[in-house]
Amino acid sequence: MFNFTTVAQILWTSLATSSYYVLFAVAFALVLKVNGVFNFAQAGLMTIAFYSAHAAIAGLGVSGHMALAIALVATLGSAWGLEKFGFASLRRNHASPMFVFIFTIVASEFIAYVAMLLFGTWPKTIFAQLFWPVRLVADIAISAWDLPAIATTFGMLLGLWLFLRFSRWGQFMVAVSDNAELAELYGINRRQIYLLTMLIAATFSTAGMFLYGTRAQVQPLTSLEIMLFAVLATILGGIGRIWGAAAAAVLLGVVQNSSILVIPSEWQGFLLYVFLFATIIFFPQGIRLPALKRRLAR
Amino acid sequence: MDYVYSIIIQIGLFVILASSFNLIIGYGGLISIAHPIFYGLGAYTSGLLARDLGVPVPLTIIAGALLAMLASVAMALPALRISGDYLLIASIGFQLGMIELIKNLRFTGGASGISGIPAFLVPSFGRGSYVLLVCAVALAVVGLVRWIAHSDYGRAISAMRDDEQAFAALGRDAKWIKLSIFAFGSAIAGLAGALYAHYFRFVTSEQFEILMSSTILTMVVVGGLNTPWGPVIGAILLQLLPQAITFLNLPPVVLGPLQGLLFTGLVLIFMFLRPGGLVRADGQWRATGSRQGGG
Amino acid sequence: MLEVKSLSKSFGGIVVADNVDLVMRPGRIVGLIGPNGAGKTSLFNLISGLYAANAGSVTLDGTPLDGLALHQRARRGLARTWQHVRLFPSLSVIDNLIIGARTYPAESLLRLLFEPGKIRAAGAAATAKARDVLARIGLPDAADKSIGDLPYGQQKLVGVARALMNDARCLLLDEPMAGVEGQAYQAMQRIVREVAAADVAVCVVEHNIAFIRDLCDEAVFMFQGRILARGSVQDLIANPELTELYFGH
Repeated sequence: MFNFTTVAQILWTSLATSSYYVLFAVAFALVLKVNGVFNFAQAGLMTIAFYSAHAAIAGLGVSGHMALAIALVATLGSAWGLEKFGFASLRRNHASPMFVFIFTIVASEFIAYVAMLLFGTWPKTIFAQLFWPVRLVADIAISAWDLPAIATTFGMLLGLWLFLRFSRWGQFMVAVSDNAELAELYGINRRQIYLLTMLIAATFSTAGMFLYGTRAQVQPLTSLEIMLFAVLATILGGIGRIWGAAAAAVLLGVVQNSSILVIPSEWQGFLLYVFLFATIIFFPQGIRLPALKRRLAR
Repeated sequence: MDYVYSIIIQIGLFVILASSFNLIIGYGGLISIAHPIFYGLGAYTSGLLARDLGVPVPLTIIAGALLAMLASVAMALPALRISGDYLLIASIGFQLGMIELIKNLRFTGGASGISGIPAFLVPSFGRGSYVLLVCAVALAVVGLVRWIAHSDYGRAISAMRDDEQAFAALGRDAKWIKLSIFAFGSAIAGLAGALYAHYFRFVTSEQFEILMSSTILTMVVVGGLNTPWGPVIGAILLQLLPQAITFLNLPPVVLGPLQGLLFTGLVLIFMFLRPGGLVRADGQWRATGSRQGGG
Repeated sequence: MLEVKSLSKSFGGIVVADNVDLVMRPGRIVGLIGPNGAGKTSLFNLISGLYAANAGSVTLDGTPLDGLALHQRARRGLARTWQHVRLFPSLSVIDNLIIGARTYPAESLLRLLFEPGKIRAAGAAATAKARDVLARIGLPDAADKSIGDLPYGQQKLVGVARALMNDARCLLLDEPMAGVEGQAYQAMQRIVREVAAADVAVCVVEHNIAFIRDLCDEAVFMFQGRILARGSVQDLIANPELTELYFGH
């Protein structure tokens, strides 16, 4: 059971599959950091991304790239609507965090129900086939999906890092995440930044969902389940730390997949929740609470 | 007639669930999605104790409520020691994690759940008696919530919601108050679960999943957070509405999502157009029987 | 008596308290003055337990308060007011006071359910006391009013009244006079003197120098988290260097 090949295979596969978890975690962590919101509506965006891509291919017969583009447009548009008509409105009305939370969860559920009505609850995928050619490298099976997935994730993370570090808008985002009121005094338009953050999160969600949906089956409620992974990674990585969330997502993915070596498969899902409670009980300091302010006050 | 009894009992149980959830989220200001799991824990505990160990049902019902309460304390204590935000996260983990646990354990029947739960009252006194029981409990719960809200305790939680820090600086232990509201509300949910188990006699984890959170949440938000009667109106409306759509004779594959769409759509509409809910809360706290009126 | 010894606190690179020593004796009113950002309110926040200090200690009547949470310090007889009042808008004036009593048995759900007699008795006692305090501050008819109906000066008086419900051994007043004038001003002065006369240690943060001069037995000048000078109010006000720091800033 514990021979090198098996372990290496599991490590490789879990590394590759943690790629989409990283994208979801970073999207969630970014919105939390800059907009100060636990954006559970991200699940809704993920649902829209998947089903647009699926419908484009199954219904219109377009290519994979075209489907991705269509999914991106749909998701960006939805994120725009969510921010303009949802969050901005709640902000204007000084809605309590309770209300914002309710809004994000309910929005995702609403979208899930629409998907159920339009597409049914049968599992679907983006491409008609989930088959990807496999190559053996030193006895380890590497699927043709793995490298592009890892490369995409790495590329997007790099892009985000460069953006936040060197671009004007990226710097504005960091400023707003630090102190939104102060940033406004310096002439930064908070509302535009909040919108930008949502759009970036939508992009990451689309990419992640495209990766996920080309490797596994998706039902209308799947994205809500995947979201928990993103939330857990965000907490473990430290609220306010985007790269911490990314690292945690990889760690969680690897640990969860590798746990097959020591525990029966039906308990793999449960392991995550054990981690969650262990984190809250033993590592609360790793989670920087004071950074979590009520930024929807004005 | 049996069908009508079932509906009334479902409504009664949801009134209990919505009222107790309102205590936690409306009055206590705590954000949690784990209410369904405490409902489920009460159902499983009572059902298993009665079926497998032969414990008399009234005792198992109490045991169900107690277990739900203890579980809620175990969940909330580490989280509330840090802050209310962590309660939300802990509740998500607990709700989903416990479902996973129940699905994997043998003695809970795994994913198939437990059946053959002993009936209570019905064999001796007929279904109508159980309806009366549930309605009585529902009324008692609503009355209790109302009484608590207007009591000296209610004054404290109102102040706590206004400004927790200033409240603590007066010498009030806000964390303990939050924990006790959470535990009490969850115990009531457990009680409701036990009542469910001994009428419908069949319990699976599927019945207590995250989507039930949104149902209860909808009832409270649409009915009116922070008022004793809001959740009652919410529960009644939102149990009757789906019954109304059933008469449209749509295929089940459309009916389920349509119902979900209706619930979530209602919440969204109410959130933006009438945030106070159907029964608006008065911004001011008043003691019971004060001249300015209570309620 | 409240004793602060070598209290220090910094947030990241910002030092808000630097080795602060301070004693507040029963019956005496200490004035804490200094420019904005000197750390006066932060010192109150450290003493009352809002922030945990990095070093040093706070002792109340011999009992160390270190490691105790906000509510635990209040229960031992430390009361404070806030710069921005922070009354509870959902409660009436008298309810705002009642909730400020040092012990409030109804905060326990168990006691509410199982000791209704005790709760009723405590409630009646607190209500009577609250009416008494309201009369003392000159607002006997404000009991059932809502906070929003009161002019700002009266709100500040109610804030002090709420702190008085604690029967505190030490009272910290954070800018009680800011935005207050006329009758409320006179009332505030009178109250603070009465409280001190009842053997309570009082410390007042204020920018209103006239108030400090009329009321305080001694003054302490803070700047950038440090105590630069202490002595009689007259001496501190007359010191040109301090004046420079205060107004030059």
